[in-house]
Amino acid sequence: MKAIQVIWLREVRAFQGAFSCGVPVAAFLAVYGWTFVMTLRNNEGSVLQIQSIWGLSAAPWLPLLSAVLTMRLFAEERATGMIDLLLSAPIRERDLVLGKFLSAMTVIAVTLGLSLLVPVLLLPALSAPLLAPAGAAAIAATALILLLQASTWCAAGTMISVLFRNQAAAAVSSLIVCSALPVAVYAAILAWLPGVRTSVAWMPLLVHVYDFSTGLFMTSVITLYVATTLFFLFACSKLLALLRLRG
Amino acid sequence: MLDVAHITFSYGANRILTDITFDVAPGEIVAVTGPNGAGKTTLMKILACLLMQDAGTVRLQGVDSLLRPVKYRRSIGYLSEHNPLYSDMTVQEYLTYRVRLKGERAMRVRRRVSEALAVSGLSGMHNTRIRLLSHGYRKRVSLADALSTHPKLLLLDDLLAGLDRPQRAACGAALSAASSRAAVVVTGHELDELLNWCTRVIVLDRGRIAALFRTSDFDRAELTARIDRLLVGQSNAQGVLP
Repeated sequence: MKAIQVIWLREVRAFQGAFSCGVPVAAFLAVYGWTFVMTLRNNEGSVLQIQSIWGLSAAPWLPLLSAVLTMRLFAEERATGMIDLLLSAPIRERDLVLGKFLSAMTVIAVTLGLSLLVPVLLLPALSAPLLAPAGAAAIAATALILLLQASTWCAAGTMISVLFRNQAAAAVSSLIVCSALPVAVYAAILAWLPGVRTSVAWMPLLVHVYDFSTGLFMTSVITLYVATTLFFLFACSKLLALLRLRG
Repeated sequence: MLDVAHITFSYGANRILTDITFDVAPGEIVAVTGPNGAGKTTLMKILACLLMQDAGTVRLQGVDSLLRPVKYRRSIGYLSEHNPLYSDMTVQEYLTYRVRLKGERAMRVRRRVSEALAVSGLSGMHNTRIRLLSHGYRKRVSLADALSTHPKLLLLDDLLAGLDRPQRAACGAALSAASSRAAVVVTGHELDELLNWCTRVIVLDRGRIAALFRTSDFDRAELTARIDRLLVGQSNAQGVLP
């Protein structure tokens, strides 16, 4: 537990001054803000609530943000050789992985918190009177599903980062796994299983966001994201152990 | 203290180390030398738990490096050949981070960092950013890191590479002080300096132990000549020299 905390603290501090953190967070907030305004405009007069618009505007960009934030976690350590010093320290691989993963999740949690400023600042000037005010519970539920999705993307990105010395290669691979793969699976379902087309009219990952934002909790969805996250983190610690095997 | 028995290691079909066996007692400094590609760094990586040997055992005070890796690693201090550091940190921040990472109790962290700074001659530079340090001082920071938690086994890979004579002397002094409570394995090509401190010299040749000398058994000049002859012979055999 102590090792996790030490690594988490080091990584969070490294994020503070890193070009690979400030720029992607700013870019995320910009594209999310644009998506938020467009979604708000397109759904004027609809039953869509403000927390749903927040969630649906942020969720599509989370894989991109996660990929860029996690690309440096292990790739940079491998490129500089610091991975040798980390692996020769008396810590378990899982502690190392968890410390780094939690640091990326911390940045994402802060970014999602900042993203709430967009509706707070924009709504008074836009169509706020047309929308029902969002309760704290509804915001918390939406934040929960966004964090669950982000944890999956971050865990995948952390694992992929172990495989590369080049950060850009890690980011691109992470994006392929986190964005292109789910979209490809979704497209394949639509193409080859026309019977389910009506039930998956929306991207399932966005449906999860919408359901949670309207109070429809499903333990199966929570289990899915938690299990996927744990799988990627487990795979990541095993990949680190493999590094020991073959250098 | 350190027992290395019949270590063998290969990268694919390429055999790097073959049947390496030696031991190191507390207070001993063992130098490992040999031409480039002899397997010195690979041996150090195996001793530091960074590579897993194909066969053989490494035990430190009876603790097997593969069976109880975390306990084994708690007792070692490792200086990497490439001297990696976090450039964005100050010397003190870096050492504090490393000491905490090695599981030192919170109440002892500050003391350990101060001791490591003092023994490595970095006391006046604790607030300097690592990216501003010269190669020699970066090496000292790495040495301070390796020494910081009073390890029972010090593994120093190419400690003297790229250092000028005063810095080599400073590293030697730190090493001699540390060897009073630890076993030390140090690799390098700087035979003159290494012979000032070490108690034994292992000469590696293409992954095998070609010779093992106890420094007290030989006159300094004779030992240097013998090792030089071995190294030149190996280089000739590998076609490096005409």
